[in-house]
Amino acid sequence: MLRKRMMILSLASIGLPFIPGWTELRPFIAELTLIGTIVAVLLTPFFVKKSNTACGLVALAGLVIALLSLLYVQYVSPDAGLQATKFAPMLVADPIAFLWKILLLVFVIGVIMMWFATSAADMHEGDGPEFFVLLLGATTGMALMASANNLLMILLAVELASFPSYVLAGFRKTNKTDAEASLKYVLFGAATSAVMTYGMSLLYGLYGTLNLSELASKMPATTGGTALLVVAVFGLVVGIGFKIAAVPFHFWCPDVFEGAAIEVTTFLSVASKGAALVLLLRVVNNIADAYHFNGMNGELLSAPAVIAIVLGVMGALSATLGNTAAFVQNNIKRLLAYSSIAHAGYMLCAMSLLLKAGSVTDPTSISARTILFYLAVYLFMNLGAFTVAGLVFKQTGIETLEGYAGLSRRNPVLAVCMAAFMFSFVGLPPLAGFFAKFNILMALIQTGGWWWLLVVVILINTVLSLYFYMRVVRSMFLLNSDQPAFMGNPLGVAVSLMCAIMLVVMFVGYSPLNKLTENYGRMHFTAVPSVNAAAPAVSMAK
Amino acid sequence: MDFLNHYLLSILIFVPTIGAALVLFAKGRDAVRWTALGTTIVTFILSLMLFITFNWKTSGPYAYAQYDAKTGEYVANSGVVQMVQSCDWIPAFNVQYKLGIDGLSFPLIVLTTFVCVLACIASWNIEKQLKGYMALFLFLETGILGVFLSLDFFLFYVFFEISLLPMYFLIGIWGGPRKEYAAIKFFLYTLVGSVGLLIVLIGTYLYSRGLPGLPNGTFDLVKLASTDVQKGLMAAGMAGVAKTFFILAMLGFLIKVPAVPVHTWLPDAHVEAPTPMSMILAAILLKLGGYGIFRIAYPLFPDAGKDLWWLFALVGVVSIIYGALCAMAQTDFKKLVAYSSVSHMGFVVLGAAMMTEASINGAQFMMIAHGVTSAMMFFVVGVVYDRAHHRELGRMGGMATTMPVYTGFSIVACFSNLGLPGLAGFIGEVMVLLGSFQAAKPDSVIMIATNGHAYPYIMTLAVIACFGVVLTAGYMLWTVQRVFFGPEKAEYKSFPEVDQRELTVLTPLAIMAVLLGILPTAFFFAYTSTTVAAMFKLLG
Repeated sequence: MLRKRMMILSLASIGLPFIPGWTELRPFIAELTLIGTIVAVLLTPFFVKKSNTACGLVALAGLVIALLSLLYVQYVSPDAGLQATKFAPMLVADPIAFLWKILLLVFVIGVIMMWFATSAADMHEGDGPEFFVLLLGATTGMALMASANNLLMILLAVELASFPSYVLAGFRKTNKTDAEASLKYVLFGAATSAVMTYGMSLLYGLYGTLNLSELASKMPATTGGTALLVVAVFGLVVGIGFKIAAVPFHFWCPDVFEGAAIEVTTFLSVASKGAALVLLLRVVNNIADAYHFNGMNGELLSAPAVIAIVLGVMGALSATLGNTAAFVQNNIKRLLAYSSIAHAGYMLCAMSLLLKAGSVTDPTSISARTILFYLAVYLFMNLGAFTVAGLVFKQTGIETLEGYAGLSRRNPVLAVCMAAFMFSFVGLPPLAGFFAKFNILMALIQTGGWWWLLVVVILINTVLSLYFYMRVVRSMFLLNSDQPAFMGNPLGVAVSLMCAIMLVVMFVGYSPLNKLTENYGRMHFTAVPSVNAAAPAVSMAK
Repeated sequence: MDFLNHYLLSILIFVPTIGAALVLFAKGRDAVRWTALGTTIVTFILSLMLFITFNWKTSGPYAYAQYDAKTGEYVANSGVVQMVQSCDWIPAFNVQYKLGIDGLSFPLIVLTTFVCVLACIASWNIEKQLKGYMALFLFLETGILGVFLSLDFFLFYVFFEISLLPMYFLIGIWGGPRKEYAAIKFFLYTLVGSVGLLIVLIGTYLYSRGLPGLPNGTFDLVKLASTDVQKGLMAAGMAGVAKTFFILAMLGFLIKVPAVPVHTWLPDAHVEAPTPMSMILAAILLKLGGYGIFRIAYPLFPDAGKDLWWLFALVGVVSIIYGALCAMAQTDFKKLVAYSSVSHMGFVVLGAAMMTEASINGAQFMMIAHGVTSAMMFFVVGVVYDRAHHRELGRMGGMATTMPVYTGFSIVACFSNLGLPGLAGFIGEVMVLLGSFQAAKPDSVIMIATNGHAYPYIMTLAVIACFGVVLTAGYMLWTVQRVFFGPEKAEYKSFPEVDQRELTVLTPLAIMAVLLGILPTAFFFAYTSTTVAAMFKLLG
């Protein structure tokens, strides 16, 4: 035991003498590794002739290293993130950011494996380096989004995540739908970014600081100017809502999901959405903290009440629209796009109660835990479902539900996995999707009051969603098809099988996972309350 | 003995799952069939071992029986819930994997394993995707046994939902022409019910948090029903929402039962489902609803039950009459039996709503009697469908001369269904009606709760319910006449008599129908009456 500890300590000291500022940089090891990997991917074509596969492997290796090093750093210094570092005003590396980065890295590893299983063979030779640079660049942006604690940094991180995504959406250059998807994405992205930047400028004008915690702490003291404040925060919500694809900023989502290559769609469906949700969580949490998580006590038009209402309404609308629009979809990618809108809606519902969680001992954790758990489950559901979709597309060339007819006979393993994902999307036991939804309902019911409305909305949506998810199941199991049986790429089958098994494991092992999300559902200021009003921290804006 | 006491229930639940896994790896059609049959038989034998371990004679409160390690016996009169096995599942919410058995669940478990064996034999002629069919069927058995055995609300809910999934596929893949419609309708209806139940689940738990001795709340159904916890819950504010919760819980269970007006999924599901699945559906799956009413809705919200007795008594009576009238109007043999299920399960709802000891006892008996009878009825329909390939009552007739043995069994089933004295159906109906009239006595639970104002309404509902018996006799006798009697028809002349396999299914069911009718105490009430008495005390 002691020896093990000694070894770890000695390992930890290796980095210290050589890298300046290591203690501060350490929590950001994942981002640093990713940047290194980008360079490595760019250099790969100089050494290997057929560079697509090689680049994929390099990216995969980089991601695995990033994941392991991040875990290692966390293991060595579990509380590093909660101590204020020199980065603190700009970037924080608190537990919630850490857990999101872990999820993100695991997910992107899954996406690359899926790429190997589905699209690798079709990719034009020589496109590999670009593709992976863009993918890793966006990943870096999404990792930073979870850490950003400063308006400028938020903007930078969001754009770093967005620009590569725009290009990725149109990556198959000869494909018309790709180009259309990409253009739509860019136009929407540009417009919402502009609104977001405007909102940020208003916030800066109001409070003279870019630091999120500082900004928030000054909010309750504001007399008058509530309207301006609401407009400013609304701008922020528009920018982030676009990334989440929450109603009414969702219009790009189905088209982009349908047009883009399937691994890009998969990547966007979880990574982009999740990062934006974590970012929004941080923003809202900062504001809620400033109001002592009790913003709903005042009149209905106070700033926190408006934010709560906006979030709740956005969540309810997203869930309802996502689920009802999915009814008529026949393309599996569009169907999953609307489903992803709905799931983001559920998570937004959970976020809205941050502003009323006053009576609870640890208000942040209720929302954060719920959303983190949902994201963890959602990751596996989506990765699995899209992998099956990719494999079926690769086999049949059909993206519509007709391609799934009789899948239970053509490839029983994939069909059973896909059915598991669909049931998990609905939230049926014995799959983890049940607990994801259960958590949200529990949190909402616990809060009570107006949040009962959201409970009802979510429950009605659950029933609605059953119908269209079951359409996929129906195609696979109830319809017959004369299409031939197929084996499916072994790697792809393995990925989807793993995802399905993970869903069952996470259901039975809910308790440890819940504990984990509870532990990591903490944010920077919860341990360091001095960051806000008491002592004006170093603001990079000065 | 100790080992059995501790693990028998878990083994019982998961033996079918293991069987399902074995079925998937079995080679050849016969191997699949025999593996499945072997599994169901093993499960049945295991459930019979409950007769050794379960001590039904002990009368006591509705609580966990204390186990005396020295004597290896339960302490007399310490409680009726026995063989409890529990371990933590989710400590954060105090969710436990908690199993146990009492007089309420015991007969239903034996019924489940019994009918599953027969349904497996009835499935012998399934040809399409046999492996998947048997695996799903066994998985379904796990789900159902899980519901009957779990004493934790959360676990109950999980199994309640799990039992949905296989049935969707079993109807959807192996069903008749409109199988897809029937399957999704079944799924949607039941999900609506369970979504409401989910609110009750979470809500009750949240109110139980922070009660004395329960800092972390509890999902324990026995604990939640105990007088202390009930008082605490009401004081914590559940009194205000108890009625809503009760209605939501009842809605969830009434959809499953099913009662009018949420019964419309049942005729579709039954008509499209393959014969063995109709047997399971009618005999066991509907009982999940009835069981839920007695295990959850009434013990957890007794006061709401007293206030809203009229609503659910009305639902019960309407189900009885409307179901019977619908059955009378059917031209499809299977649909007729399906509507007769609605009518009979109406007695269960009425028995629960009237809240007298006799009516509850009767409702319990009704569930078992209906389980035996309806399984038999659906198999009878299946036999004739296998031969004639249609179920049109108008085209049938004269079967008695070509298939005398079959006719004999069918008539036992029909008479048991219509409630002929000496057969199973009679006892349940009479007990429920007797109990309903007792509810009009001044010392009954409802009369006390309503200060006697309920008297005319109780009497009216009970009298109307009596007419259900007449209607049942009407449509059943008419059916017997249309199918079996009358002149012999040329097209049915070549029909073979029931074969060995079909006899194997029919004989045990017929024997049970007779035994339950003649010796109701030895075969039913001996095991249940103490539990019902204990539960009844909670209501009063």
